[in-house]
Order: sequence, then structure tokens, then C-alpha cells
Amino acid sequence: MEALRLEGLGKRYGRKPVLQGVSLSVRPGEVYALAGPNGSGKTTLIRLITGLAFPTEGRALLLGEDVHKSPKARRHLGALVEAPAAFYPYLTGRENLRMQAFLAGVREEGRIGEVLARLKLLSVADQKVGSYSLGQRQRLGLAAAILHRPKVLVLDEPTSGLDPEGVALVHGLLQELAQEGVAVLLSTHHLQEVSPYAHKVGILGGGRLLDEVALSGREVFRLEAHPPEGALALLKGLPQVASARLQGEAILFEGNPEAVLEALLKEGYRVKALHPERFDLLSYYQERVRHA
Amino acid sequence: MLRLFFFEFYKLFRLRSVGLGLLFAFLLPFLWALAPGLKKVYGLVLASGWQVISLSLLAGMEFLFPFLVVMAASEALGSEVAQGTLKTLLLRPLPRSLLLLAKLFALLLYPFLLLSVSFLGGLLAGLPHGLGPFYGGTGLGEGGFAGTGLLPPGTALAELLRAHLLAGAVLLPLSALALLYGVLFLSTTAAALAAVATLLLMRLLVAFPALTPFLLTTYLDLHLRPQAAGLGLSLLLIYTLGFALLAALVFERKDL
Repeated sequence: MEALRLEGLGKRYGRKPVLQGVSLSVRPGEVYALAGPNGSGKTTLIRLITGLAFPTEGRALLLGEDVHKSPKARRHLGALVEAPAAFYPYLTGRENLRMQAFLAGVREEGRIGEVLARLKLLSVADQKVGSYSLGQRQRLGLAAAILHRPKVLVLDEPTSGLDPEGVALVHGLLQELAQEGVAVLLSTHHLQEVSPYAHKVGILGGGRLLDEVALSGREVFRLEAHPPEGALALLKGLPQVASARLQGEAILFEGNPEAVLEALLKEGYRVKALHPERFDLLSYYQERVRHA
Repeated sequence: MLRLFFFEFYKLFRLRSVGLGLLFAFLLPFLWALAPGLKKVYGLVLASGWQVISLSLLAGMEFLFPFLVVMAASEALGSEVAQGTLKTLLLRPLPRSLLLLAKLFALLLYPFLLLSVSFLGGLLAGLPHGLGPFYGGTGLGEGGFAGTGLLPPGTALAELLRAHLLAGAVLLPLSALALLYGVLFLSTTAAALAAVATLLLMRLLVAFPALTPFLLTTYLDLHLRPQAAGLGLSLLLIYTLGFALLAALVFERKDL
């Protein structure tokens, strides 16, 4: 079963739709990155998934339970919906987590120290949150999100306001959690940071899910052939090619390189280079958003 | 639920409006006890410390206490929205109505706390005037401040306690109304303004005599008319429950 499943989720304010028919799913252990320009609907989508806002169409399921119909569905959910995370400034970090633990039904006091240590916050745990830096508050937010060992983690810009060490700490933690079987959905503008470990990237634009890119097990080849437009048209017609697109003077394609080479030479194209290429998520994203 | 309620009550004390409110409620009796113009303005010469307490209650209930109660209820939700902690609470697997109920219970205790502080302040401020039997009245019973003869301290205390309890009951629907507006607008200022404006508008409806017995504002002086407590308390309770229920219904589907 998918840990998180969205079925045609949409939201409109009056007549203005801000999100339309978003469907996606995240399996346990999978990391799903949501990308999109400002105003594309990422935060609205996260508010809908976490049950903070209500959809005008569709539904969001956490391990099969509708998050808007049953508050108990949120027992599976750990979330960070604001940057920096919000806490009571007059309580210490530990006291804030203690309250969160109570609300989440966590009874082990030791778990609080455990998450504080995991986010490297033990040294400031007994200071009032009002004195925390933005980065410390953001890390405390993540500590609160994982406090009750959630099965689904939904994070809005989790590395916002963090220094490079903090960014590495968060990405390391997310990878660990995914390996432990937690389904992670995060929104980000920093695609290069998440592309090494994200399994899928959803590209949002104009309130719609424009594209979903599977990153794991993806092999892309770079081809330089002349003339490129004709070669691209040929590749698009080959059954052994899953996708092909122009990038500058080169063609990036997914598929069988031997079959491609054979077809190009047979048709008399001049092939200058053909080699595997690491999938350039950022370029793909920029192109996809531009065309949208 | 009990821990949630205690947490809400603790948070209430961290609100600026509550801190200031309790301070003003405590200081107001001292102001009245020292006021040089009481005789000139009200024709009143303080004969007993008990009169300081009642004078503070009467003056406070004119505008200050209702306003402080409305401000606290508005800020209780508005401050959570402003600092982002409401979202944090709602991410947990608890029904929204339960969270609101805990907040409401804390807010419904606040008027009584406010009046208790005012009572305590009055007691201290009234000490120089004495708290023994006196010729006169508390202003809350027969004969007003002039009274009907010698008033024993037990009777004065009973009159004052009854009046403070009734005043607390009067303030309950105001808390619930401000909380309702807090849920609707998710803003301290908007909620407080809307609640005050609603009360002012309701007061204008006095021009419709058929409506008068059912208006909330008709009973804002219930502490002065204990004989109307039967209908008055029932209506105040209905208003409180009605506003609270509406707040819970709206909050249940409110986007944050």
C-alpha cells in the first residue's frame, strides 16, 4: 500500500483555482521531491496533505486513511509546514517537544533526548526557543516532526534558513529515514541537493502537477549527431527510445544506445559522440517549467 | 484533556492582554479608594472597605472588564495564529474541536479570575476604610450605597460575592463571542473589534422592545439585578453555548 496517496486533489478560493487535480503517491521508503516556481501551489498542496486546509475536490490518504475525515490519520504523519518552524518562545526546546510528545501520544521521555541528539540540539535543549537561531528552530521543527516515529514525513522547504552543515544534516537524516521505511515528501527549490537521493520529482506549475520524473534507475545518454533536429525526430520514432529531447546542440535520450546508433548510421546521420550522461534534473525542470 | 486544559490555561497567562488585564483589575480599586472626586461626581463618601470592592466592580463592568475579557479571548487564538503554533497543534492527531474546547474552558475561567483579582485588590485597597459593620450599603443591595441601616460584614461579603459571580457569568458569552470571531478571522485585532462592534450594535437594538428580553446586552448589568438571574443566567448560558458551538463548527473546517 502507498504510504501517501493523493487522488485528484484540488483547491479553489471562490472561482480562482490554486490547485487542480493533483494525483500522486509515495511508497514507504521513497523520497518524493516537489518542485515548482513560487506560486505554483507547493505550499497549498502541503497544507492540504497535512490536513491544515481542506480540498474542494479529491482526497489525501495517509496509509489508506483520509486525512480530512479522520484526525487520527495524522498519527502516521510528521510534518514541518513553516520555515522556520513555530514553537512557543517562552518554553525551552525540550519543553516544547515534551508538549508535542504529549499531543502525539509519545510517552517515552527518552525519545525527546534521542531526537534532540539526532538533530544536534542537546546543547541548547534547555534554553528558551525565543533565543534560538532560525537554523536551530528549523532543526527543532524537524525533531518535533520525527518525534513520534511517523510513517509519512511531509516537509515544506526543510533546509530553509540552515547553514551548509545543517543542510547536510537534514539531507542525511531524510536519507536515513527513507532507508528505515519512512515515506518522505518534501518541497524544495534546491533540486541539486535532493537529486542524489530522491526517487521521484513532481514538477508543479500553475496549480497542476506538470510532470513526474522518476530518478532512481534512470539512465540518460547524450548524443551529438548532425543534423540534430532530424536525429531527434528519428529517435522519437524508435520503439527502443523512451524519451528524447534537445539540449543545446545535443540530444538527451533514455533508451537502448546500440539500437539508436544503428538506426542513425543506417539513415546516414553523422554521429560525433554518444555517451552516458547523469540526468540533469535542474535543466529538465527549467525546461519543463518554461514550456509550461 | 485535563493536561491540554492546563496547558491552555498556562498559555493564557503568557498573553499580554491577560497580564495587563490582571494588573489593571488589581490596581483599579486602589484608584477608586484614592479618588478625590468621588463625592463631587457620584455624591459618595466611602464609609467602608466593602464599598471600594463594589465600586471597582461597578466601574469595571461598565467597559473595562468586558473589554479585557474580549481582548484575552481574541488574543488566545490570534497569538497562536500569529506565531504559527496553531498549525503545530493541528498537525497532531487530535480532533480540532477538542483543542478548541480546551481553549474555551481556559477562557471561560478567565472572567472569574479577573474578578477575583479585582476583589482581592478591592479588599486590600479598602482596608484603610475598615471591613467591619458600617452604616450604608454596598451599592449592590437594597438602598444602594446609602443602604438601609447598619450592614454587617457577612451580609456585605455575601452581596459582593453574589455580584462578582453574576458579573463573571455575564462575561462568559463575551469570551465565547470573541473566540468565535477569533476562529472566523484568525486575527486578534479583527476578532476583538468584531466582538466589541457586535455588542455595541446589540445595544442599539434596544429600540426594538420585542427583542430586548432576549438580547445579550440586556443582561450585562445582571450583577446589579440579581432578581433577573433566572432568565438572565439561562440566556447567558445559551449565548455562551451557542457561540462556542458555532466556533467549533467553523473551526472544524477552517483552512489554515
